Amino acid sequence: MGALTLDQLARLHHDGEWRRGRHQAAPSGFAELDASLPGGGWPVGAIAELMPEAAGIGELSLLLPALSRLARAGRYIAWIAPPYLPYAPALAQRGLPLQRLLIIRTRNLQESLWAAEQALRCPAFGAVLSWPSTIADKNVRRLQLAAEAGGSLGILYRPPEAAREHSPAALRLRLRAATDGLLVDIHKCRGGRADLRLQLSVRAIPHLAHDDAVAVPAFSAPGA
Amino acid sequence: MTMLWLCLRFPHLAREAIAGHQADPRVQREALERLAAWAYQWSSLISCAADEPLLWLELGASCMLFDGHAALLARIEAELVQLGYSHICALAPSPTAAALLTRASGQRQVLTRTQLRQRLDCLPLHLLALPASTLAALHASGLRRIGQLLELPAAAIARRFEPETQLYLQRLCAQASDPRPAWRLSETYRARCEFGSDVRTSTALLFPLQRLLLEFQGYLRARDCSVQRFTLEFEHYRHPVSRMSIGLSAAGRDAAQFLILVRERLHSLLLPAPVNALRLQALEFTSPAIVQADLFGSDAQPLQQLQRLLDRLHARLGESSVHALQRHADHRPERGWRLAAPQAAAASCDHSAAPDTDAPARPCWLLPEAMAIDAPPELLRGPERIESGWWDQDDVRRDYYLARTGEGAQVWVFRDRRDGAWYLQGLWA
Repeated sequence: MGALTLDQLARLHHDGEWRRGRHQAAPSGFAELDASLPGGGWPVGAIAELMPEAAGIGELSLLLPALSRLARAGRYIAWIAPPYLPYAPALAQRGLPLQRLLIIRTRNLQESLWAAEQALRCPAFGAVLSWPSTIADKNVRRLQLAAEAGGSLGILYRPPEAAREHSPAALRLRLRAATDGLLVDIHKCRGGRADLRLQLSVRAIPHLAHDDAVAVPAFSAPGA
Repeated sequence: MTMLWLCLRFPHLAREAIAGHQADPRVQREALERLAAWAYQWSSLISCAADEPLLWLELGASCMLFDGHAALLARIEAELVQLGYSHICALAPSPTAAALLTRASGQRQVLTRTQLRQRLDCLPLHLLALPASTLAALHASGLRRIGQLLELPAAAIARRFEPETQLYLQRLCAQASDPRPAWRLSETYRARCEFGSDVRTSTALLFPLQRLLLEFQGYLRARDCSVQRFTLEFEHYRHPVSRMSIGLSAAGRDAAQFLILVRERLHSLLLPAPVNALRLQALEFTSPAIVQADLFGSDAQPLQQLQRLLDRLHARLGESSVHALQRHADHRPERGWRLAAPQAAAASCDHSAAPDTDAPARPCWLLPEAMAIDAPPELLRGPERIESGWWDQDDVRRDYYLARTGEGAQVWVFRDRRDGAWYLQGLWA
């Protein structure tokens, strides 16, 4: 091997930041995003916060390639108190092995945080997704430590207002709908560049190939 | 969903069979079977040709997982090179077209029907897999290129040739359904690899062994399980087979690790005669395979840890707090899924629930109950008509649309055709 280029050195440094020498990043499947994240992907062994402007803009599709990879490598994905039903036919259609998904129901926020911490600490899990309505700094830090111990990727979906608060999460992304994909604002990125805006071709509606797109036929609303 | 078919042609397999070392088409068949098992890791829809050295992989469903078709194709080809198979690959929206492109020279990848049609237009007629008599008749009527034939009115073709001709052309253009017998992963693994000639040294066995083990690794990945014991058999001419049983202290699926063990054992194995075929057999598998031991440290036992976690979750959150998901065959979207016990899911190594690439797209979020809405948002695509359930007094008659709300959220709505009311049922997250 020859000498390292500056780029490679920078990347090594970033890798170290992410994983403190132990965990690798999980490629997101979106080249532009990976290029902006230290280690080239989601921060394994850490917490990432996703703050979508609304539900249904591609906030899950952004994660699916990484989740599929982790699940196909044999690791489990925990969904802790998701706000809607993760729809099995759709997830299978998008390539997720259903037998690797575990849905955990909780009765309150406290139980959700406890379950998230337990799952993050368990090395059998590749990723743990949760949707806390609100979460204090110290709890994010707790989850961060659990993720580090278990070597899994912790994803917190948070409301857009959370962007105004500080958080110890390693990565914080704001998500907005774009005409053809998803606008991602890197709000915070430990070991990387923040205040970046990316437009990703996240397809929430899969396989809309151009020659298959069907026009909405003429349509009359009832009573119109 | 748009289907995208990769067709792999292995010209060498045909030649081996024809060249007469083994006139037996079984050699080709066995190799294709092994390759199909190996290919299952990339796609859950695999088909083998009955009489040609061809393998089809449906990649439309897998592309997203592997950074798109180009990256996926690169990985598949890299492994084929490692396996040592010469091959020709072609991508097209229909399996018939992909197979034809493996016979063509020049550009062999077309992604859409439009591209496919353009590509077909300039290809010579003789590439068509039609009976020689049909090809001769077409040639006699002055046609030289596939495009010229496709421009003829359908009625003219139907009048002059067998109905199969018309169907073949429609399949070629991805305009008719083109079903292929799906190759199924078997529960046990048995692979056989016959050599063209006798192998006399154990060093010379290493290449075919490596190939066999790499294919085996593909099978294990496809089934997402690992193995703790497998058997190798060395066939000799006029001698009973020599057998070697390989056991691992912990289940694994790494071909390189297997090869190291096999190589160690080969040193001490006395072969009574030259070897003319190899068999690999594995009957028992460990699942789920959480095999990245290095991720967890040497003392970790992830399955046990998972079991302990489930126990803790059950104890604190209640017995029914943790579930796995299953699909359920029912046209009514709200009934298209089921909860399953997590233990059952953890133990299953079942890939029968393969992505159904023909099914219409479904949203990742479903509302627990469809919600009545006053007026439909901006409709983007549709309708998809769903009518079902008359047999259990819960019949539905709905027209589903993809729609967009003012905030840019993509939603799945339907209009109840019985009373015209609108409902929101899902979110394209």
